[in-house]
Amino acid sequence: MFRKLGLAAFAVAFGTAAYAVDCPIKLGAILPVSGPMGQVGERIAETGLFAVEQFNEAGGVQGCPVEYVLRDTQGQSAVGVDAAKSLVDLDGVQALIGAVSSGVSLPVLTSVAVPSKVVQVSCCSSSESFTALAEEGKTEGYWFRTYATNRSQSAMGAKLVTDSGFERTAVIYVNTDFGVGLARRFEQDIAKLGGSITAMVAYNESQQSYRAEVTKALEGSPDSLYLVAFPVDGATITREWLALGGTDNLIVNNSLRSDDYFQAVGSQYLQNMQGYDSAQPRLPSVDSFNEMFEVRFDNPPNGPGLHSVYDAVTVVLLAMEASGDITGDSIRDNIRLVTSPDGIEVFPGPDGIARAKALLSEGKTIRYVGATGALAFDENGDVQAPKMTWKLDGDENVETGYLSTAEVAELIKMLDE
Amino acid sequence: MIGLVSYLVFFLILSLIFGVAVLGLNLQWGFTGLFNAGVAGFTAIGAYTMAILTGPSRDAVFGGFELPFVAGLVGAMIASGISAVIVGLATLKLRHEYLAVATFGIAVTIQLVCLNWEYLTGGTLGLIGIPNPSKAWAEGPLAQNALYLLVVLVVVGLTFAALERIVKSPWGRMLKAIREDEIAASSLGKSPERVRLEAFVLGCMIMGLSGALYVSFIGYVSPWDFLPILTFQIWTMLIVGGSANNRGALLGALIVWGVWTTSGFVISRIVPSEIQAQGGAMQAVLIGFILVVTLLVRPRGLIGEELYVSRHARS
Repeated sequence: MFRKLGLAAFAVAFGTAAYAVDCPIKLGAILPVSGPMGQVGERIAETGLFAVEQFNEAGGVQGCPVEYVLRDTQGQSAVGVDAAKSLVDLDGVQALIGAVSSGVSLPVLTSVAVPSKVVQVSCCSSSESFTALAEEGKTEGYWFRTYATNRSQSAMGAKLVTDSGFERTAVIYVNTDFGVGLARRFEQDIAKLGGSITAMVAYNESQQSYRAEVTKALEGSPDSLYLVAFPVDGATITREWLALGGTDNLIVNNSLRSDDYFQAVGSQYLQNMQGYDSAQPRLPSVDSFNEMFEVRFDNPPNGPGLHSVYDAVTVVLLAMEASGDITGDSIRDNIRLVTSPDGIEVFPGPDGIARAKALLSEGKTIRYVGATGALAFDENGDVQAPKMTWKLDGDENVETGYLSTAEVAELIKMLDE
Repeated sequence: MIGLVSYLVFFLILSLIFGVAVLGLNLQWGFTGLFNAGVAGFTAIGAYTMAILTGPSRDAVFGGFELPFVAGLVGAMIASGISAVIVGLATLKLRHEYLAVATFGIAVTIQLVCLNWEYLTGGTLGLIGIPNPSKAWAEGPLAQNALYLLVVLVVVGLTFAALERIVKSPWGRMLKAIREDEIAASSLGKSPERVRLEAFVLGCMIMGLSGALYVSFIGYVSPWDFLPILTFQIWTMLIVGGSANNRGALLGALIVWGVWTTSGFVISRIVPSEIQAQGGAMQAVLIGFILVVTLLVRPRGLIGEELYVSRHARS
């Protein structure tokens, strides 16, 4: 008995001594910096590095500088998987940031991150397959993403439709993992809220005309159209839809909240359109990130994945800071600890991180409120973001409503029951 | 050290899986002279067949028969074989670059079918949870991967032995005869059309086998795995290794995949982190450079074709 206690005491003492980890601490990033996603990926990669630099300015993780090891996926799953495996086995990273497209992130997760017990946090992968995998327990909790999922988008669309009193809705959606996932969820959500679907029509990108798709969607005389599209194709579809006598009661996904789209169709035809978008949360943390970003890069952080990759990196590093031994398991568990809803709020930037580290060393739980607002991961590793609704008034894009993260979470909870 | 071993095992699995597809292409191009630019399409058919036959059942998606691994492999070969018969009958009248354009178009079509036929392929979301047999037999990623490597080695070994036997048989000599001069071959009473179709189908079945091994290892399949770049990679492996030599085909797979991956590792080590985001372009340049140099120094590939005379003809 005493021997056991002695061993335990020794383990504790040794554990504290082992607190000094090997420097530098490596953080792996697998991002598409060349290939079709190269332009997007390059900015995301630079922003990830920016987050690491800021953390190092605040003294690094457990007194160690953090080294950011970037590997290119070339947008190819086999290359991404190999890069991830090499980072884990040869560089010894315990956490991976990435990838961008779901077609790369998912193979990395199933064949590298989960078997090797390494945390993977993606800034940008939107596929519903991750949630399905997590619900089956196959991610073992190692998967997180700081990109707010489609889940809230379909919920917002369904809410707008039923709040406006529409009863028969046609759906036209882009045939990608993003569009398909969103449209399927919308179908379930709208049924729950008492609306009905007259047609579900997928379209393939970059066609000259969508007459066939629009004609099919017009069958069953819908009183409203839910459109999940991107500006160029979306404008073609909308013009053909209106020309063929479709209703101008449009509910559009946030991907169409763009001046290109409004001008290509003509704002005067879009006065009954409504939309929703991820609201930039009204928080000082977001503004301060935007300012710091502009100082560093001389341009504003416009573009996909920049806010979310910054938060992905920062959350992982904070979780490392909170860990004794830095392992995939400790990072996985401590990500919950540094985004705890009842923790003390901390903000991005060197000062914020220094404060976060001080609080952690006092043994307090913290809540990181970052570039995308307060991150609250659900059990599947997904996050939600606040939402706003908008319409056009003349040429002006005006906000018609705002739902906080908590309200969005409540809406989704109601729909999922 | 364990990390290095673990990575090498992983690397060997992926490159040998590519190697299987290269062996298939070698039968078509190296020995028979068929310019198949649709490798990715036949790999995709094998991959999806494996996923449908061995994967877990899902609502709204066909299949999920949870059959054993070997049944998946055989099924994948049969499915890609059947599609190769159809494609072959339609296109093998074409020669050289015309065949290349036709098969390239077919591969793109197959990829788009995978993208859109949700009931069969899960569409853009792909199919998840495809079992890897080694996970039932071993604990821990290294042991599991080592076991899977063994499986892949057995498959590669069998394929290699079978192909070596085939190309050294009278039928194999007939392939070369047709490749060199079709009219001469038909004047000897051979039927080039029939033999070309046989070689095409057999090669495509081997590509399907490669796709099946890949999905089972990765556990996931999506249309994004079968973009035309895959066809390009397999071709590069064959050309660098040496056409019409099965050892060259496997060597090419190891070397080209090695260059493809180690160039990324090297860039991440030597390029300062501030400009690593531009490193992707450097990696592409490095890959291209090494390939060009290899071909300038060894224009017939690392190991070219060996002259071979029937073992019955030795005096």
